[in-house]
Amino acid sequence: MLVLAGAVLFAWSGVYNVAASTGHFRVVDHFLRFGMENSVRARAPSTNLPPGIDESLVRLGAGHFHAGCAYCHGSPGTPISPVAASMLPPPPVLTERVGRWSDGELFWIVKHGLKYAGMPGFPSLHRDDEIWAVIAFLRRLPSLDRPGYRALALGEVEPEPQRGMEIATGQTEPDATGACARCHGAQAGPPSRLVPILHGQPAAMLESALRAYANGERDSGVMQTAVVGLPDSTVRHLAAYYASLPRPPASIETIDQAAAARGEAIARDGVSSHGVPSCLGCHGQGTAPDYPRLAGQPARYLEGQLAVWRKGLNDRSATGRIMAPIARRLSEAQSRDLAAYFASLAPTREAPQ
Amino acid sequence: MTATGRRLAAIFILAALPGWAPQSALAPAGAEAERIALLSWILFGGATAILLTVIAALALAIRGAEPVRRVIGSEGAIRWGGIVFPSVVLTLLLGYGLWLMREAIAAQTPPALRIAVTGEQWWWRVDYQRDGAAPVREANEIRIPVGREIDFALRSNDVIHSFWVPSLGGKLDMIPGRINTLRLKAERPGIYRGQCAEYCGGPHALMALEIVAVPEAEFKAWLAAADARNEPAEPKVAAGEKLFLSAGCGACHAVRGTQATGMVGPDLSRVGGRRFLAAATLRNTAENLAGFITDPQVAKPGALMPPFAIFTSEEMDALTAYLGSLR
Amino acid sequence: MSAGAQMGPVTAAELPSSLPRPEGELERLEAVWKGPRGLRIVSEVNNTIIGYFYIAVAFLFFLLAGVLGLLIRLQLAAPGNDFLSQETYNQIFTMHGTVMMFLFAVPAVEAVGILLLPQMLGARDLPFPRLGAFAFWAYFVGGSVFFCTLFFGVAPSGGWFMYPPLTGARFSPGIGADWWLLGIGFIEISAIAGAIEIIVGVLRTRAPGMTLARMPIFAWTMLIFAGMIVFAFPAVILATILLELERAFDWPFFIAERGGDPLLWQHLFWFFGHPEVYIIFLPAAGMVSMIVPTMAGTPLVGYRLIVVALIAVGFFSFGLWVHHMFTTGIPARSLGFFSAASMAVAIPSGIQVFAWIATIAAGRLRLTVASLFVIGFLLIFTLGGLTGVMVAMVPFDRQAHDTYFVVAHLHYVLFGGMVFPLFAAIYYWTPAFSTRPLSERLGRWAFGLIFAGFNIAFLPMHLTGLIGMPRRVYTYPAGMGWDGLNLVSTIGAFILAAGILVFLIDVIRNMRLTGERGVGDVWRAGTLEWLPNHAYATRSIPRVRGREPLWQQPNLARDVEAGGYYLPGTATGARETIVTSPIEAEPQYIMRLSRPGYAHLCAALFTAAFFLLLTVKAVMLAATCGVLAVASILVWMWNSDPPSAGDVDIGGGIVLPTYASGPTSHSWWATVILLMVATALYLSFLFGYLYLWTVAPDGWPGQADLSSAAGAWVSLATLGASGALLAGARFVLGRDAPRHGLVACLLVAGGAALAGALFIDVAGHWRSGLRPQASGYIAMVYANAALQAQMAAAVLVTALFAVARLLARRLDRSRRAVFDVLMLLWSYTLGQAAFGLLLTHGFPRLVAQT
Repeated sequence: MLVLAGAVLFAWSGVYNVAASTGHFRVVDHFLRFGMENSVRARAPSTNLPPGIDESLVRLGAGHFHAGCAYCHGSPGTPISPVAASMLPPPPVLTERVGRWSDGELFWIVKHGLKYAGMPGFPSLHRDDEIWAVIAFLRRLPSLDRPGYRALALGEVEPEPQRGMEIATGQTEPDATGACARCHGAQAGPPSRLVPILHGQPAAMLESALRAYANGERDSGVMQTAVVGLPDSTVRHLAAYYASLPRPPASIETIDQAAAARGEAIARDGVSSHGVPSCLGCHGQGTAPDYPRLAGQPARYLEGQLAVWRKGLNDRSATGRIMAPIARRLSEAQSRDLAAYFASLAPTREAPQ
Repeated sequence: MTATGRRLAAIFILAALPGWAPQSALAPAGAEAERIALLSWILFGGATAILLTVIAALALAIRGAEPVRRVIGSEGAIRWGGIVFPSVVLTLLLGYGLWLMREAIAAQTPPALRIAVTGEQWWWRVDYQRDGAAPVREANEIRIPVGREIDFALRSNDVIHSFWVPSLGGKLDMIPGRINTLRLKAERPGIYRGQCAEYCGGPHALMALEIVAVPEAEFKAWLAAADARNEPAEPKVAAGEKLFLSAGCGACHAVRGTQATGMVGPDLSRVGGRRFLAAATLRNTAENLAGFITDPQVAKPGALMPPFAIFTSEEMDALTAYLGSLR
Repeated sequence: MSAGAQMGPVTAAELPSSLPRPEGELERLEAVWKGPRGLRIVSEVNNTIIGYFYIAVAFLFFLLAGVLGLLIRLQLAAPGNDFLSQETYNQIFTMHGTVMMFLFAVPAVEAVGILLLPQMLGARDLPFPRLGAFAFWAYFVGGSVFFCTLFFGVAPSGGWFMYPPLTGARFSPGIGADWWLLGIGFIEISAIAGAIEIIVGVLRTRAPGMTLARMPIFAWTMLIFAGMIVFAFPAVILATILLELERAFDWPFFIAERGGDPLLWQHLFWFFGHPEVYIIFLPAAGMVSMIVPTMAGTPLVGYRLIVVALIAVGFFSFGLWVHHMFTTGIPARSLGFFSAASMAVAIPSGIQVFAWIATIAAGRLRLTVASLFVIGFLLIFTLGGLTGVMVAMVPFDRQAHDTYFVVAHLHYVLFGGMVFPLFAAIYYWTPAFSTRPLSERLGRWAFGLIFAGFNIAFLPMHLTGLIGMPRRVYTYPAGMGWDGLNLVSTIGAFILAAGILVFLIDVIRNMRLTGERGVGDVWRAGTLEWLPNHAYATRSIPRVRGREPLWQQPNLARDVEAGGYYLPGTATGARETIVTSPIEAEPQYIMRLSRPGYAHLCAALFTAAFFLLLTVKAVMLAATCGVLAVASILVWMWNSDPPSAGDVDIGGGIVLPTYASGPTSHSWWATVILLMVATALYLSFLFGYLYLWTVAPDGWPGQADLSSAAGAWVSLATLGASGALLAGARFVLGRDAPRHGLVACLLVAGGAALAGALFIDVAGHWRSGLRPQASGYIAMVYANAALQAQMAAAVLVTALFAVARLLARRLDRSRRAVFDVLMLLWSYTLGQAAFGLLLTHGFPRLVAQT
């Protein structure tokens, strides 16, 4: 009781200095760090990344890191912004720090953020798969130099040679954080198999997907970060741009032919005893522009998306509400077969509407 | 007869009127239902008499004259009232019941028409078997010829349902892995409503059907017209058909003569001619149809059809016009 | 007043115990039976306190399920109503049925039995007070959690009958169905525990001289009730085990595509479900048979006829389960048989109805509230019986089945047949336990409202059903002719609820329960529960000379209270009661009863936690709780079976031993009944196994696909070895100077052999590539193994317990009840395992040959 009264008095008096600039006492700082580390260790899952380097996962993680994390934590060759560095506590340079944590602990920190440290949680708490991509990248981070980092995070986007006027008048962003092509490609296809090929998709579908990400009807921390706040006209232009792009040459992917054959049966005829209609009814050639074309999409992306549906996510947009009940009727094995089938198809391109 | 008695009688007579209660077992229109209705009236009469006897015995036991009470209060009364009387009555009843069952079950001539009805969550798949041709597929509204024995082959693809059209006869369950055969005959033309009688989850309450009994000739013409296909003439209808196919409706629903061959949901080949939508739940109007397509959960919570809220109002107009034209 | 043969008063010299009683005897008796006060009352095991708890909780569930019923009626008051959503409605009607059947009806009558039986039989308590307390706490915790699932929207929604495939993993993917299966399965186990206690209590703890022919009808009904539980509940327990195995591990017992059959569930469920109706009704009829003679002031007319009728109902009720399945397409020939059986069961009920009327006629009925409820019961139940005969007619049932006609019928039978008698019983027996009787004035209001409300609510439903309204519909369209009738039903339901409310007010105002004596015999009744009643029941235990001792033996109450009869104090310084012979009720030995404690409470809590955590798939926590539950039971059992305290004199020159083993002992009886439960469970399995064969013989393996017979022979031989080791242990223990270490070693080795035999068999199936997911047949083979393993686990735990007692010198040549129990359990398990081997290896070979 007395302690409580004392605490209230202390807070009320304004004696405590909340200035970030003055920092913590050393002992307080140690204590807070001690508490934080133990809290994370107690709560983090014991799961680890699967052994071996998964380039698709790392690239997807890099793409999000550049947009979401680099500003505060810096990146190889780019120091932490002075604004961020003045926070209390200052955000750490991750190259030095990630080694201290296990995969599960990093995952927990990225997912939930840290109270009073300015570290935010992940924008979508339902997409653990995206968070693991970030962790995969963080494991790679210490070994990266500037060109290596930029190759991963920026892909084919190369904003270096710019004229002074362009820089001065902000016509292009110097670090291209918002550039879609970093992850989805433009001249080439997406560098990660976890990322969909947008080239030649119906513009109407691309538009509605962007809007659904922006207003949270579709769950993705990565995409939400990328598209929130884009003006309507930008969305339209973007959709039209990707719809008009020729399909990139198919990437070489080894397909399990038996799985693809099983998937084809489902895609063509559905599984009527389980209420699953033919996929091609909506996702095949010549169907309504509201629906994506799946031919030639990377198998891993499709499988991941079906898993997201099966978890019961993405069921809030108009088209999402159509797909959600159907996806929930598919088993994991069926999803895998379907992904193999669609990945094995040659990419198609819709005739412009 | 007391006033209450008269009122009761009035209610029972009302119950026999199909207009007041369109799904009544007491308003029979088929041979089987008539037999059961007769049995029901016998049972009600007997039960009322026995109940009155018991009430009288109880009243006499409480307040009766001494000699009467001495009779009722003996073990003999228990033997007569509790053993002999029920044994006789029940034996007679059982004999009558078995006799009724014999009549209903004894193999008669093979039926002229066999209709396979499959229970689905929460609608009815209907297949008219034809000699030498593919069965004609329908859903939720079953057209039958008057005055002919019809065998309904009852199955289920998911959970247990029960096929029940009270005016025509008793119910029979539809059980996965089995085929149960129910023989019914409509004596008079008319529309007989039925409903799923075994709890099948979710909107079990909204799984109804209608049997439309029509004269033989009319039925034959209707069945023969199944394969006829009219190309949509009106541009709006044509646009609707295009939309129907491109929006993926055909992945679940079939329309004979088009690329729509889906087996997941009800066959729509003649949906425009049906009186109701969504398994006899909604009147078949363009407005109801549009509402159901946009969000089936409103009219039928739990329905397995996904909501299609992607159409503009012009598109929806075209779509409903097309579906309405399918007759 | 009484028409029974009046006997002359017993003189003081003829009393078994001399009067006056010595100083301090009463105080010692009181001290032994003094219960814990305050919050520690939860550790009490005395039947009166547990009975109060039990009835109160059962009544609470009645109110809760009643509120659910009102919600249902509100939703259906108007066509197209959206008061409740569809999913909520489906959960509510499922819970209404489930809670009423499993959490109210069965526990309520069991509770009345636990409260009344010892007093009525002249015992100090039931033979296994802790088991009774355990059953109560398990039921209370399990039932409460089960009910609360409703508040989180995860209650089951598959109907109280839970028909698969709707309740299988594919069509009910959530955990609602698991709540039902594990929660109800668990509460059924608690009901069986209570039933064992009641059977042993009725057969072995009656007052000296209370032969079976002098036993009150209520005790007869409780005996038959408990016997029916023993044989009926295992069927549904097996069904829940199979369905849970299907849901959790995809063993396709009920999936037609893989050689299972949805109808198997219906057979098992109704093999329980139909007797269940009589399980609920019989004790209620028993209550009526107690109330009517008192209120009419004359002995029951036709006592023997009634007993015969009750036994007949018990048997018949197992032969008519198919009448719930008349519309499943079962062949007409079998329908005829079940139709006949369903009608025949009406005759015993007819006997009882006319016997009550005859008794009323033979005496003069006082129109008390209890009498009113009895009259209400007679009218309503008769109508319910008549509609029961109607639905027993196959053609009629094909229209009425699954409609509101059946809803009306079952409420007439169950509400009329069980709730009305229960209210009568509460008004009748309250003075025996409360320091104030209930109000006759409020009672009349309650009766009037309940009777009127009930009929207004349910009478119209007969018609609603016949004009086409099916059951279990959350809504209905307008224009079907159902609107007005449904509205009337809803109004009736609320009138009924008002009546219950008046009753509650009466209870709150007037019921003052005590552990000591109540107002007493205000009705001038004839049976022993009206003797002056204390925590220790009666001061002394009377010798009974007729069916209504209080009428036939003048001064009985005075002499009993003065301690003039048997066992006027405590003979061994413990809580105790006299164990008598099962038929003639002659004293055999003094049984010492358990005292208050917490071990059974912990056992109940952990057992409940085990099942509930399993439902939410917290497997590790559940396993921990399971181990703790077993540990608690072992702690509880460790102090049971006290050594003999020598022979004691209970008065009248009767000297009784204080220890019994073998077939005389109560633990032997309880074990035998438990083994009957196990047998019934296994027979249900056998039925299921053979049934699946008749349904899908094609799915069964040919000679070539069977696992090798050699494995079965090895397994059988190992079982034989286990039996030999057990026999050896028994031989060594029986010798003059038994070597306890050797006995322990033999037991351990025998247990290992038993486990080994089962392992060899399962390994054989597994190695030959049989996987339970593949077909209904293989799933049954593994289900057999699971049932054997379950018995073997019980044997192993008991064996280790016996070993521990041997080593702690708590088990020896004479103090051997634990060993006798183990022997029984073990021998049965060996037999069942051997039969299982014969079945799973022999039967398919037999079939493959032909």
